[in-house]
Amino acid sequence: MEPMILTHCAAPLLEARALCFKRQDEPVFAPLSFRLDSGDMILLEGANGSGKTTLMRLLTGLLQASSGEVLWRGRPLHRDRSPGDMLFIGHHLGLKARLTPRENLRTSVDLYGAARTNIDAALGYLGLDAVSDEPVYRLSAGQKKRSALARLLLIPATLWLLDEPFVHLDGSGVELMNHLLARHTARHGAVLLSSHDQRVFHTAGIKRMRMDI
Amino acid sequence: MSVWIPLWLRKLAAPPHFYCIAGKLRRWSGRLAVLLGIIALYGALLLAPTDYRQGDAYRIIFVHVPSAWMSLFIYILMGGTALLGLIWRIKLAELATIASAPIGAAFTLITLITGSLWGKRMWGTWWTWDARLSSELILLFLYLGVIALYHSFCNARQGARAASFLTLIGLINVPIVHFSVQWWHTLHQGSTINLFGPSYISASMLWPLLTMTLATKAYYLASLCGRMRKQLLWQERGKHWARRIIAMGE
Amino acid sequence: MSRTLLLKACTAMLRHDLTLAWRRRADLALPILYALIVTTLFPFALGPDRLVLQQIAGGVVLVIVVLAMLLELNTLFREDSDDGSLEQLMLSPQPLAVLLAIKVLVYWLTSAAPLIVLSPLLAGLMHLAPRLLPVLMLSLLLATLLISLLGAILMALTITSTQRSGMLLALTLLPLCVPIVIASSGTLVAAEQGLAWVAPLAWLGAALVLALVLAPLSCAAALHIGLDG
Repeated sequence: MEPMILTHCAAPLLEARALCFKRQDEPVFAPLSFRLDSGDMILLEGANGSGKTTLMRLLTGLLQASSGEVLWRGRPLHRDRSPGDMLFIGHHLGLKARLTPRENLRTSVDLYGAARTNIDAALGYLGLDAVSDEPVYRLSAGQKKRSALARLLLIPATLWLLDEPFVHLDGSGVELMNHLLARHTARHGAVLLSSHDQRVFHTAGIKRMRMDI
Repeated sequence: MSVWIPLWLRKLAAPPHFYCIAGKLRRWSGRLAVLLGIIALYGALLLAPTDYRQGDAYRIIFVHVPSAWMSLFIYILMGGTALLGLIWRIKLAELATIASAPIGAAFTLITLITGSLWGKRMWGTWWTWDARLSSELILLFLYLGVIALYHSFCNARQGARAASFLTLIGLINVPIVHFSVQWWHTLHQGSTINLFGPSYISASMLWPLLTMTLATKAYYLASLCGRMRKQLLWQERGKHWARRIIAMGE
Repeated sequence: MSRTLLLKACTAMLRHDLTLAWRRRADLALPILYALIVTTLFPFALGPDRLVLQQIAGGVVLVIVVLAMLLELNTLFREDSDDGSLEQLMLSPQPLAVLLAIKVLVYWLTSAAPLIVLSPLLAGLMHLAPRLLPVLMLSLLLATLLISLLGAILMALTITSTQRSGMLLALTLLPLCVPIVIASSGTLVAAEQGLAWVAPLAWLGAALVLALVLAPLSCAAALHIGLDG
């Protein structure tokens, strides 16, 4: 019930101050205050319906807070113009079923103004070589997930917001994801993620944040 | 978003407080509407002289004209509340926009029906594509679109915001519709008689007309308060104050 | 620098949407067939009298094109919202209004432009005087662009609405389209009567210039309202 406060020194990458979101006038979660610095990895914990996805959408600016505010590098998050060094991968992966993984990635990369040259390497790294020119609707759920996660390799973003990144991944996929997370935080990136299955983590130094109504 | 709102206004806008005040306002403006309506009807039906050209049929203007004014007035007001609701997310403004729409639609419908009745008497036809009647018909569609859009959302507040946005687009469109329909009418050389064209109106006709206008305004206020109260209670039904009122059976 | 990035993003968006349209190219024929079939219903309903058909030809073609667009418009943004690519679009560092404007452009290219190309055939079926064809096509060009922009705002607004049939779109969009229909059919009537028909067309053009600037911005704002819940 108490608002959670994780304190740190230095300028935070992302900071939430008494963040609250009401749906139909009902608060989805208790007011949240926390900060996320580079090198941090926060795992959102909470039962179904505790507002994990809502929180992530608030932090990206897709939703507008009912009260409180989100600060991105010390400045209020502008809803109409995303800072572009934040990546969000949600339940809906943002892949077009009729395009191939390669075509999908090319659009994402171009939207963020990143280099196109690494797409092949990223597809290879995620084990999608064989299907990179198949339309996405032919891919398995795990392969779709991997295609979406390839964005993490291609778009240079400081903050990753990952809603259930391990869902649909097989053993080697989980390994890969863990490796990516460890590498990102080692490079002073920051991650906020949610996961139902907590056995999948190997990463040390993860912070946990509980969400309650 | 933190916007500076005067304290008294914030207090007034607190749902339990508003509920109470709107109840009183509804009672008094309702009574006023009935009173003014009776006076206006007395003046319109009994005191005002018979028109030498149109006979007694002209008396329908005492309903038609105030309704026509109200149909536009309410839409403009809705534009104002829609803007307030969208920019400052004031819940009462959202409620007012949504609560006004059916009242406005009703006045528009009354305008159309009385216009058509008058048309039957004067031109021998129930409907004619007169410029003003056509604009009024489009206005009715605008109202209905707002109402339908509101009801197409599960989330009432989101529906209200979407409907507010549509209201604003519609408001920009109202003058455009008006002028384009007028142009359309001249282009197609339709009937040249205007419904209630410019004519001199005697004082004995004017005061019932103005009184009726005030009566419709008072009625609008009463109806608006009633609708907003009901909707507010429904939306806040989980809250303590609302449950208390519901339990009291008010 | 950021301008070249924006340009790159825009071309990527354009290519992306055009590729998608090309992958579903069989669907492109649907509005065309719809318009053709509805047009042929008119002679069957009114009788093949050349004069009767000729008198209403311009208006009929215009209304059919509007209705065909409406059916297609109802799917704009829907798939993007369902598969999450709209979210990705909103989170990209490019101005949302510009990206949405490109989406509307592709919609217009794939569903309204074929109808304009087809319009001489439709007009021919209705015995419209051939000299009026250029005026018809010109007014359709402006009208369809305006309706696409207006319709996009409404589709953005209703993106999470539970009512997904085209009826809601029709009820909310068509009243807003009345001035557009009046101006474009008025152009045709004026041309038919030998009056100056440039004026109403100029009005449409002026409205289009305004809409080109304001509609994408409103569309972005509407999308935020539509997704905020």
